[in-house]
Amino acid sequence: MTFSRIYALLLRYGYLLTKNPDRAVDTFYWPTIDLLVWGLTGLYVEKLANNFQVVQIIISGIVFWYIIFRAQGEISVNLLEEFWSHNLVNIFVSPISFWEWITAVLLNGVIKALLGLVFTAILAFALYHVSVISYGLYLIPFVFLLLISGWFIGFFIAGMILRYGTKIQFLAWTLVSVIAPFSAVYYPVSVLPDWAQKISAIIPTSYVFEGLREIINTGHFDLVKFMISLLLSLIYLALSLIYIKNSFRKALERGLINIH
Amino acid sequence: MIILEARNLTKRFGPPVGGFTAVDNISFSLQEGEILGLLGPNGAGKTTTLQMLLGLATATSGSIKYFGKELWENRSEILEQVNFSSAYTRLPWLLTVRENLNFISYLYKIPNRRERINRIKEIFQLNEIWNKEIMHLSAGQMTRLNIAKSFINSPKILLLDEPTASLDPEVASFIRDFLANERKQFQVSIIITSHNMSEVEELCDRVVFINRGKIIADDTPENLARTVEISRVTLFADEGHIQALENYCKKKKLVFAKDTARHITVDIKDKEIPKFLRGITQLKIEYDDISIERPSLEDYFLLKAKDKK
Repeated sequence: MTFSRIYALLLRYGYLLTKNPDRAVDTFYWPTIDLLVWGLTGLYVEKLANNFQVVQIIISGIVFWYIIFRAQGEISVNLLEEFWSHNLVNIFVSPISFWEWITAVLLNGVIKALLGLVFTAILAFALYHVSVISYGLYLIPFVFLLLISGWFIGFFIAGMILRYGTKIQFLAWTLVSVIAPFSAVYYPVSVLPDWAQKISAIIPTSYVFEGLREIINTGHFDLVKFMISLLLSLIYLALSLIYIKNSFRKALERGLINIH
Repeated sequence: MIILEARNLTKRFGPPVGGFTAVDNISFSLQEGEILGLLGPNGAGKTTTLQMLLGLATATSGSIKYFGKELWENRSEILEQVNFSSAYTRLPWLLTVRENLNFISYLYKIPNRRERINRIKEIFQLNEIWNKEIMHLSAGQMTRLNIAKSFINSPKILLLDEPTASLDPEVASFIRDFLANERKQFQVSIIITSHNMSEVEELCDRVVFINRGKIIADDTPENLARTVEISRVTLFADEGHIQALENYCKKKKLVFAKDTARHITVDIKDKEIPKFLRGITQLKIEYDDISIERPSLEDYFLLKAKDKK
């Protein structure tokens, strides 16, 4: 593993953030809109229901959901960016190894997700006085779990793009939304129908959001939920890495130049 | 000294039955400081061969060794000393020339990075486009930048796919001189694919000609051209003598074309030219001017491309 080569890609993605308005929109614009629309909706519901936690639950949901969204987006959309700019060849004729590439993509995902987290957290506090800092040190394991979820979704999508090309690029923006209803971002798993609860049980993010709400409601950190989520996340991460490595091997069988 | 060796390289696409063999059991080598032309008609297997040499595609069978080491077992170590440029690949279009060379220089872990980038900027005259985004470059500027990028790590081996496509003649000539000089000064070994045959003749020490995935020739450009036996003799004379020439060609069953009333071109085997000239002299056919066009690499290419069909 050579840091210089990992840094090269971090630099390339860093340049891109300042150049490509699409990326700025993903990182700053949509979270702002969501915070405004759903935060105001939460305020209204809170007034009607006389429940002071509605806003905190919704705002926390948005802030933390964007960690997954960004972490997966940085992996899949950056791969697409290399396809669109025909740059995959320039990267892979260089000495960079597959695992250095993966590490660079991961680190970039962490940096951008944390950047997004800081931005949305400040905005949430400024608009609604909801502070994610109130989760204290529990914030660290939750953010870590959400990052892993973003990574395995991102690697799975990236693996599919390597196999099937840009014709399935829509997955980079849509697939993550499929797990949102089962993740119980804004509501407890118990409100889901039975069949959906079964799906929810194998989705690691559902334990994270349940855990977050538990801290808001009771101040208690559920270690069992955390461990289940961690175990599931690590299994999915390992499977997604095997899948993307296999997809890369398949892409090499076809020739990386030809997959444009 | 052999610096790159491809042995029994085969690449098949698709299923074992009904698939397609793009490269069929080819072997060749590249010497230190040698410039090798990889030629062949479209679809011959050149690009697939380049992809395999660059580690962008895995071979179905066979081996690739750089500096005596297997490519796939020593990929990073080998590719630090290799680079590639193609007129058909691009650099990230939203980044400027400076930003592109900057991030690429880190990919190759170049010592004295800043110095090297400034040197490349100077050699390839990138000053005026230094802060321009790639999407605003002309095709010629893009090709020049691609070649500049390929020299960023001072490679020992360079693989160039149509390096001077889209360049105006002056810049193309500069690039050819630069490549020749790099070879002379630093013993850089180069594999080049090009459809510009005069460029290949000028630059390459040796040509490997691929057709239908197989190597059909491996020789110097001169020797390959010599295998085409037909030369083109063009004669200028007054109309009466042109008519006599036409009759003579018909009688001798020679292939000819009467381009104008005072201008005839005869396709004739190289060794039969003296006999032809003696023959027309004996008939007292006079001509004002004569030009003999010896077969070139382009004639060889055209001949072999026809074989493909």
